[in-house]
Amino acid sequence: MITIEMPLVYQIGIAIAFIAIIIAFSAILREKDDIHKLIIIDLIEITGLVVVALIATDLAEALILPGLVVGVAEIMAVSELWLAKEKLQQKHSAKKFDIEVMKTAPPIIGLLLAAYGIFLTGFSGGLIAALGLMIFFLGKNMGEHFAKIENAAGYAWALWVIAFFIFMLFPSQWFLAIMLAAVGIMLKVMAKMSLVGTMRGGE
Amino acid sequence: MFEQILIRMPFGDIVHYLSGYTVVLFAFAAMFVILAIISLPEKPIDIVFGTDGYYTKDVPVDLMKFQRFMAIACGIATIGAITTGDIFNFTLFAAFIGVLNIGIVAAVKNKQVLNAAFSYGLVVMMATVPLFAGAAIIAATCGTLSIWELAVAAEATAGISVPIVAKLLLLVGVLGEGMAPFYIGKAEITRAPGAPYILMIHVSSLLLFLRVVEILLTV
Repeated sequence: MITIEMPLVYQIGIAIAFIAIIIAFSAILREKDDIHKLIIIDLIEITGLVVVALIATDLAEALILPGLVVGVAEIMAVSELWLAKEKLQQKHSAKKFDIEVMKTAPPIIGLLLAAYGIFLTGFSGGLIAALGLMIFFLGKNMGEHFAKIENAAGYAWALWVIAFFIFMLFPSQWFLAIMLAAVGIMLKVMAKMSLVGTMRGGE
Repeated sequence: MFEQILIRMPFGDIVHYLSGYTVVLFAFAAMFVILAIISLPEKPIDIVFGTDGYYTKDVPVDLMKFQRFMAIACGIATIGAITTGDIFNFTLFAAFIGVLNIGIVAAVKNKQVLNAAFSYGLVVMMATVPLFAGAAIIAATCGTLSIWELAVAAEATAGISVPIVAKLLLLVGVLGEGMAPFYIGKAEITRAPGAPYILMIHVSSLLLFLRVVEILLTV
């Protein structure tokens, strides 16, 4: 198990990744502006994820997802901090752009992404469907669909619980349970992520 | 260090454990979580220089609630970092402690404090690169992230299984995540309102350092 022979590709890849990391770190040394520093540091995090991705196994996926989440959490916290520091926090709701394409394109793109996400099911399906809904809500700039999304999240929980009961009580019906759990987690991820789209500008 | 294991909880190949060393750290962290739950922040007193005048700074309830929540969460994350038997979980807890420390500091709406918190936030974000890179290199070269398995392998091969570069990256990452006390000194935040909760930052980074030393000596 220990000390598996790593192929040459890994060594070349990790050398390139480290060069990218060094370039990114030298950029942060030269930068003086705060917001540019923040952007460059996000770039640095992406290069760090490249190192993780180079493992190229299932383990890498299991490491990348939390790494990505940690990165997103940190950049959200620090950018919120920057807004507070520069006294730029929004007091009013976001200004609405009156552009024709913002009304027509989001439903089509959103529908396509949501349909593809439902086809995929599971965690990645939820992410893709959520992306579709986020684009829809960001383009529409509306807030009244909260209740429906929360409804969907409630049904998702119910599906999960039902799936777990089926796993426990009728293990022979595992395929049904997996499908229920996959649809449940898709709805859950979709609901949680699309809230990001509707939260814009709202208090 | 593995000789004096007190509690051992295996979950597959991830073995959570408490040794004679980490049980002390655990007790320390748990004590500070309880202190953060029960203690109330005092009102700091500023004396007007050259006169007899003084004034007290009030701690707003919402600030207190937020800082207390962050401090308790930070303490629980520290307990997690101490008890975990998986290097990846450890890196996640370290990153989590970093984010929570930013939260504790940034609750104080003061220009200098916010400046220091922002610089600390940048350092925390940078530190996640060596942290996750170290974990990834260990996973790539050893095929496992379980400290237990790595320790067994290290004993079998006289301590050469984990590459030294991965150990160094892990250490650098934890150094970055645990830098908070430095920025606290920079902003003199120990005199800011809500200061008792600031102690949790010191405790968490101290315990994080002590734990990473144990991990690096074990694997």
